[in-house]
Order: sequence, then structure tokens, then C-alpha cells
Amino acid sequence: MTAISHPATAPITRPRTRKGRLIVSWMSSTDHKVIGYLYLITSFVFFLFAGVMALVMRAELYEPGRQVVSNEQFNQLFTMHGTIMLLMFATPLFAGFTNVIMPLQIGSPDVAFPRLNMLAYWLFLLGSLIVVAGFLTPGGAASFGWFAYSPLSDAMRSPGVGSDMWIVGLTMSGLGTILGGVNFITTIFCMRAPGMTMFRMPIFTWNVLLTSILVLIAFPVLAASLLALEADRKFGAHVFEAANGGAMLWQHLFWFFGHPEVYIIALPFFGIVTEVLPVFSRKPIFGYVGLVGATIGIAGLSITVWAHHMFPTGQVLLPFFAFMTFLIAVPTGVKFFNWVGTMWRGRLSFESPMLFSIGFLVTFLFGGLTGVILAAPPMDFHLSDSYFVVAHFHYVVFGTVVFAMFAGFYFWWPKMTGKMLDDRLGKVHFWMLFIGFHATFLVQHWLGAEGMPRRYADYDPQFTALNQFSTWGSLLLGASMLPFLYNVYVTAKKGKKVTADDPWGFGGSLEWATSCPPPRHNFTSIPRIRSERPAFDLHHPHISGKAELPAGTEA
Amino acid sequence: MRVQAYLFYGCAIFFFAADVVYWFWSGGSPDWTGTVALALSTGLAGLIGFYIHFTIRRLERANDGPLPEDHKEAEIADGAGDLGFFSPYSWWPLAAGLSAATASLGIIFGWWLFIIGVAALLVSAIGFVFEYYRGHFSH
Amino acid sequence: MSPTRSSGLRGTRQGLGGRRRALASAGLLSLLALAATACSGEAARLGMPDPITEQGKRVLTLWQGSWAAAFAVGGVVWGLIIWAVLFHRKRSDDLPPQVRYNLPIEFLYTVVPFVVIAVLFYFTARDENYLEKTSAHPDVVVNVTAFQWSWQFDYPSPQDPKWTDPTAHPQIVASVVGQAGQKPVLVIPVGKKVRFNLETKDVIHSFWVPAFLYKKDVMPGYHNNFEVTATKTGTYEGRCAELCGVDHSRMLFQLKVVSQQEYNQFLTQHPAAGGAQ
Repeated sequence: MTAISHPATAPITRPRTRKGRLIVSWMSSTDHKVIGYLYLITSFVFFLFAGVMALVMRAELYEPGRQVVSNEQFNQLFTMHGTIMLLMFATPLFAGFTNVIMPLQIGSPDVAFPRLNMLAYWLFLLGSLIVVAGFLTPGGAASFGWFAYSPLSDAMRSPGVGSDMWIVGLTMSGLGTILGGVNFITTIFCMRAPGMTMFRMPIFTWNVLLTSILVLIAFPVLAASLLALEADRKFGAHVFEAANGGAMLWQHLFWFFGHPEVYIIALPFFGIVTEVLPVFSRKPIFGYVGLVGATIGIAGLSITVWAHHMFPTGQVLLPFFAFMTFLIAVPTGVKFFNWVGTMWRGRLSFESPMLFSIGFLVTFLFGGLTGVILAAPPMDFHLSDSYFVVAHFHYVVFGTVVFAMFAGFYFWWPKMTGKMLDDRLGKVHFWMLFIGFHATFLVQHWLGAEGMPRRYADYDPQFTALNQFSTWGSLLLGASMLPFLYNVYVTAKKGKKVTADDPWGFGGSLEWATSCPPPRHNFTSIPRIRSERPAFDLHHPHISGKAELPAGTEA
Repeated sequence: MRVQAYLFYGCAIFFFAADVVYWFWSGGSPDWTGTVALALSTGLAGLIGFYIHFTIRRLERANDGPLPEDHKEAEIADGAGDLGFFSPYSWWPLAAGLSAATASLGIIFGWWLFIIGVAALLVSAIGFVFEYYRGHFSH
Repeated sequence: MSPTRSSGLRGTRQGLGGRRRALASAGLLSLLALAATACSGEAARLGMPDPITEQGKRVLTLWQGSWAAAFAVGGVVWGLIIWAVLFHRKRSDDLPPQVRYNLPIEFLYTVVPFVVIAVLFYFTARDENYLEKTSAHPDVVVNVTAFQWSWQFDYPSPQDPKWTDPTAHPQIVASVVGQAGQKPVLVIPVGKKVRFNLETKDVIHSFWVPAFLYKKDVMPGYHNNFEVTATKTGTYEGRCAELCGVDHSRMLFQLKVVSQQEYNQFLTQHPAAGGAQ
């Protein structure tokens, strides 16, 4: 029995004659590329939705006392903004990029469990829709902050059904993430092409492997905690009863998930940047083994630092968590030097993917430094729950996820769609985003240190000037999405088709050794794999001397 | 595939060491939550590592050497032949997803919806598992 | 800062010249003043409020030292990135040497960060022990009760032997209760060891006086406390810093640091209602 059979409905290679056929083929797809596109599109839509929420919040914060929304609505806005950005944008975006790119990079025809892959997508989409549908209920969406601290999140203090929908929807969506993680690990372990040893895999693949391991460790804890919380709310359980220490129990459980979660959303995007930098520096990645070791170090350590989110509670072992958190700075620094070392003495060119990758480097560096400051309890006592933390995490998360996302989009657009996005529009997009982002968030460090708490709908008049500056910045940030959306539209309508396998010229990993876009099962032929950049060896045989030699020659 | 097993074993050892240090350092006011969570993570990593380790030992013994994907000098032709069965398309994931959503909403809105959801989930699970053993594919 | 020239500067030539010189020197003086404030004020503290406690001063020093180290590290790395962007651009079509690794450099940039964090950890551990220290016999005890959405400040009597333990229900001498939107005032004497006991019966709140450069969470089911010694009199803002519901941003209070006599006077002016909590 042959391994591959073609679907009855329109496959990607035949022209799509009817929209209905396309919708049907996408809804019943088991192709990792299509599922990946579904994830990417859905998470981007959630990104825009949560972004609009942020703009509404910044409008409310333009002046003290100004009323764009009520206090309760404001609480719903930041709760949903955080929930959507972390769990319906960044995490599924990781699933999206992994789905599209990872099987191509390891030379595999698909993932290990194609139908499970699609199930994971549906669980994500439907679970997220349940969460967001909270806005349509009379009591509104959940408003207890994305960490849902108990007892604020119990039935008495957050009685609305929107809160229950938040809990139940996230449990479903989390299950989808876990199934995705299982799929990715199995694929990477069991479906690599011959010669693709673990230490020849692209760094993006290594990173998503480690991310998937983190998913297996962290998400079940979230799911269990959410179900226990729902049991408290609906079925009279007393798991998180304050008198039994429930307040701390929730925090420990939530952050045991919550901290690995932020590395789950960071590591894949570090991987994307690590793919882009060598291509536009025309050099291999610097210190490959060190990078893999550093990433393993980050993943392992991220499981042991959770209570650094809990320093002001006075109930956690401060020196242990401070020390582990400082330790994480070391492998992160190593990665930085690997990236800079890749660029160093290269032949750099600044197309859009490279611009966004450098934007990531510049931004994430600052976020990492403020992270080390926050790791010290004496300073964290003052800074925790203030705008300093808001600024820190936007620098690290936005700096990583959003900048690297756009780097990945511009980089892999030809591979996914067969057309290149316009580079000039890309540059406009980059500069608007970069300036808008820093204008919004840099001043928030000052606001927090001065004493403005987070999650405040209103504030002391002394904070007005910086808040206004931040709001203007956020408008530019929001506007920066427009050149990108226009670019996507115009490319789809009249972009020129790419004919080469590798339009950028210096791609290293296997996805650049197949057509743009790839056939249904990814490869009609795979080049010999003798290094961590087989496509580069194939296209530049005289540089590496590792390419397939004509038959009869000594290897 | 030894690398994969060592990856998980390494994690298990690290989590175990961190757990022990954490438990004893917390001395007077032990944190049960974190200690148990780290211990369970040790168990998870150890379990997966153990499974991978013994699976690859069995496969390498059957293959008389490393598998093509772990062999540095492998040729692509070494992996020639049947790679496995890849489902061309399927509606069961959607069915299972909708069933799960129904059951989840049932937790909130009432037992009646939950039971409908669980029933649908059972049907979807069975359909999913037996999709390629029924009808056209039965043998 | 620069004055407009158009408004009513008509006058004699001498007047105009004199005015211009006066304006110039005023401009120069204000620039000097600004520079002076920058050197001594908020800019030197890098955004942190002026600390009003012994403990806060320690936090400020650690903050300034940490930023010095952070800017040094940041300067090096940003410098390297900018250098590469400026001087390692593509100028021709040939490929650069395909360097994959350099063990000495990799070793260096792995080991040096360990040294940096070791130093930081030493100061961190030292300071957190200092900040969290409480004494057996503080001079003043305030029982802070947080509730949705304001604060209650109870002052137990020093005569009561169990006055430092809020769970023992000591006799309360004075009490101040606030309402959402109001700012109840917490009064403490300067130069004395003040213990704050933090209690709540509903949700998690957080007791933050930015001028302390310190906050601590108030958690139901837990008895948190901390101690400070205030060094400056004045009135300072206090805010709840843990999301506690719809009026979280209105859960404000004020801290007033006064002389011992004023403090004693305050206690007599706010007697507790029936001594009950």
C-alpha cells in the first residue's frame, strides 16, 4: 500500500475553482502546512483583536479620570488582552510556525499524527472562541486578570458566567497545545530524514522541540488548576479556600505553569531569528553546539524559577528563586553572543526579515536587562505589580514574539505562498513598528519606578505626561499594522511568483531545497545531509565541499 | 537516538537535584506545592526518557546499528520505502473538537449539555480511531 | 522655556537690548537649574522616588549599582550590534569566512556572565535579608486591614503584651477607616521602628507606599508584616498594588510621617470605636 493518497477535494497543486471547495479542503485537512496556515491566520486575527483592546486601554489612560470605559470594562480589557496575547496569539503562533516549517526542516513528509494535529487546532479555535464569547454575556468577560488569582476568581467575587467560560475555554485550548506538543516531539524524534542527526537539525527545530517539552510539563498543571478552580466555583469544592492557604496554592500552581509559558512563547521565536540571521549574514550560525546547550539550559531552568512572580507575597524562598532566575540570564546571554557572532564579519544585507531580527535583538536586550533587575527581590518588592513590570514583559515578549513573527513572515512568505512580500512596504512597516513600540513602552519603565501600579484604570495626575506620550506611541504602533496588511493584500493580488527553491539565496535548512510552495508531502527529492545546512551545501557546493558528488566519485 | 533519551534524563536529573535543594532549603516553611510539582516533573521527564531509551535500543538492535536518521554517513536512499500511512483528509478532528466544546460548555450550562457532549465525544473518538479500519479500508 | 519674542517687547533700543540680555541670562540660569536637578534629583535616582526610610536607601543604592552594571553590559552588546550593522555590510558578492565556532570566545562569554550574576546575587541576598528583618520589640505597631476597596488602620496599645500579634486581638487605641475613592491617612512617627501587620478577609491586596521603595502583599489566610524606620516627615501616597476587583485603582491611602508629639496627639484624636476590630 502506498504511503500517500490524494484527497478527493482540491489539493494545493490544482487551481482552486470554487471558494467552497477551498473551505472544505481546509476544514478537513490533515496537511501540516494547511494546519499551520490556519494557526498563523487565527492567531494573527486574535493579535489584532487584543491589540485593539490595548488601544482602548491606552485611550482610557490618556488622562486621569477620563472615562472611555468603566472600571469593570477596563478590568475585562486587560484580562482579555493578556489572555489573548499569551494563550491565543503567542502560543498558537508557535504551533503555527512549527507546523509549517519543522517537518520541512527535518525532511519529513508530514507530522507523526496528522489528524491529531488538526484536532489540536480545533481545540484551540473552539476553546478560544468560548473564552472570548465571555464578552457577549451580560456580566461581560472575565475581569480578574490573566493570572486569575484566587480568591478574586472565586464564585463569590467573580460571579459572571464569562469567568466560567474563560476557565473552561482555556482548559480546552490548553489540551490542544499539549496534543500539539506530543505531535511535534514525536515527529522530531521519529521522522527525520536519513543523515539528519540531532546535531544537524536547524536551531528552529531544536527550539520547538524544547518548547514542546516545556508544554508537556507546564500545561497539564494549568489544566488541573483550571478544573480545580471550576470545581470550586460550580461544584462547591474548597480547593482554593483562603483559610486553607488557597491564595498561595493557586499562585504556586499558576506560576509553575506561567513561567515556563513565557519561555514557551519565547524559544520558538528565538529559533526563527536564529534561522534568519545566518541567511542575511551569509555565514553559518556561530557556536551551534553552544546555542543548543544554552537553549536546553534555559528550558530546564525555566521550570525552577516560578516564584519570582511571587516575591512580594512574603511566602516564598527568596534566595533560591532569585539565584535560579539570575542563572537563566547566563544561557540567554550566551545566545545573544551567538547571534551577534553570526552577524560579526559577515556580509550583511538588510531586507525586511533581517530588519525585524535586528529589531528583536535591540529590544530583547533591554527587556533582558530589566529582567535581571526584577530578579533581585529587594528591587522587585518595589517594582512588582507596577508599570515597570508591564514595560519589562512587553519588551521581552513583544520584542521576541512580534518582531520575530514578522521576521518569520517576511522570510517564509515565499515558501508558504510562492510570492515574496514587497520589501519597501516591509521597511515602512518595520520602522513604524519599532518607533511606535519604543515610544509606547520605554517611558513605562519610569512610570513604574515612580510608583504607578499596573491594572489601574485611573492614576495620580503626576503620571499624566508620560501616559500621554505612551498613548501617542501606541497609535503609531497600531498604525504600523496597516502597511503589513496592505502588503499581504497587494502581494496576493499582483505579487510575482517565485521560481527558485531559495529566493533569498543563502538558506541553510531543508525547506529551501524544495519548491515554493512545497508539494503535498513536501519533497520530491531530498539532498544528501552532511551538515547543519544541507540546502546551502546543495546550492553552494564549492563553499562547503559537502554536497552530493556525481555518481562514482569518492564521498 | 541516545541524544533524545539523554535530553530527558538530563532534565530529570536536574529537576530532581533542584527539588531536593528546594525542599531542604525551605526547611522551616516547606513549600509542598512546588516540591510536588518538581517531583512530578522529574517523574515525567524520567518516564519519557526511559521509554525513548528502551525503544531506540530495541530498534537499533533490530537494525544492527543506528537508524538512518541518526547515522552521520547515511544516504537519502537508506530511508527508501514505505514511510507510513498519512491520512489524506478527515472530518473526525472537527467532530471531536465540536464534541469537546459541547462538553466543556456543558460544565457551565448544565448536565444535559455535558452528557450530550460526552456522548458526541465518545462517537467522535471511536470514529477517529476506526476511520481507516472501516468501510473502504476494512480487512 | 524659551520666551516668545512677539509679545510686547516694543520699547527703547536700550530697553530691548537690556531685555534680551536679561532673557538670555534667565534662559542660561534655568538651564543650569535643570542640569542641577538632573544631577541630584529624579534623574540620578533613575525614576525611583526619594526614599523616606532607612530600608529604602538600601534599595536605591542597589538600583543605581544594578543599572550601572546593566548599562555597561547593554553598551557592550548594543555596541557590537551597531558595529556589525555599520561595518560588516555586504559590499561585494563574495562570501565571508564561514566561521562556525571559536572556543576561547565562547568560553569567555559563558564564564563572564556567571561572575556578573554572582556579584549581583551577593548584594541581593544581603539586602533582602536586611529588608525583611523584623524586631521583637518595635516602637510602633500598625494593624493594616485591606478590604474591597479601602483600608483600615488600627493602632494597638503598647500596654497590651500581645500588641505585635494581630491574631491575638490586642486592645486598639486608635483607628482610621476609609472608603473607596477616599484616601484614609496612616500616621507614623519619624525615626522610630514601625511594624506593619497586614491582614485581609477578602481577596489579595498589596500595601505599597512608593516612597518606601517597598511593598508587601496582603493575603487572606496569611499574616504578613514588615518593618521600616522613617527618616523624613511629610505626606506620601499609598496605593493598592494587587488587582482586587472593580475599584482596585481607587483603593488609595496616604502615609503621614510626623514628629513623636504630633503622633501622640493623633492617637488621642482618632479613638477606636469601642476597642473592637
